[in-house]
Amino acid sequence: MASRAIKPGVVVTPPELQSSSEFFKEGASLRVTGKLQEYSVETAIAVIADQSAILKIDTQHLREISFRVGSIFQFIGELHIQPNNEAILQARIGRNVDGIDLNLYHQSLQLVRQFQAERMNSATM
Amino acid sequence: MDQPSLQNTHVKLLGFDILSLTPSFSNSSIFYLKGNPTSRTEILGVITSREQKPDKFLKLTIDDCTASITCILWLNQHSSHYFSKRQPTTVRVISDLAKRLAADVQIGKVARVRGRITCYRGEFQVTVSDVVIERDPNAETLHWLDCLYLARRCFGG
Repeated sequence: MASRAIKPGVVVTPPELQSSSEFFKEGASLRVTGKLQEYSVETAIAVIADQSAILKIDTQHLREISFRVGSIFQFIGELHIQPNNEAILQARIGRNVDGIDLNLYHQSLQLVRQFQAERMNSATM
Repeated sequence: MDQPSLQNTHVKLLGFDILSLTPSFSNSSIFYLKGNPTSRTEILGVITSREQKPDKFLKLTIDDCTASITCILWLNQHSSHYFSKRQPTTVRVISDLAKRLAADVQIGKVARVRGRITCYRGEFQVTVSDVVIERDPNAETLHWLDCLYLARRCFGG
């Protein structure tokens, strides 16, 4: 039975958000984590980086969050693809996750994806 | 070794496993996961929505990145027929606890929710018995790993 609740933010890493990626879709609900490289108060645009890839985050709808360059943040939101094919995540949720073990996080993410794929394969058999 | 019974424990589940449960035909409070009967669950994720009707209920959504699960925390203990035969002091304690839990629930926080699995209008939900706000940024990762470990060892996954 499908849930009619808000769509979950599928976890992706910034390197996975290339234009050829399956996640690179207008309106896709995504969850991303990365180190804050820069933040503009005027535009409310944050730039996060992970594994040498960067992603812009539109934070205009976020409240009660303090942005500190160098801290690690996690955002959930919808992907917007601009006319120049650059992606920006319009965040509806944001939180500071300083202290997160990113290596463990990435490895665990692969295990979750593998598990989901196995479940879906066994359901269709 | 016999498979342990999952029926009276809060089974740690990923959201997409909750959505793939099979309701029992004979008992509306039992659901099957890979043939294992279960009725309670523990989920953990980011609170992405919150809707409160004072003195009635708090409806929240937990996003654990595999699914969004609706959870209901009842706040109607003083007016509910279900509690009418219980001691007023007991009802007050339960009601106060529910209100404290509701106050902790804020959008953007990570919550560990325990409760009974229910099905309302075709949608799986969790009727909340307990909510804990998790401040450890690694709590979600560890919950994922717990769920995967249990699924592979206990649910035939």
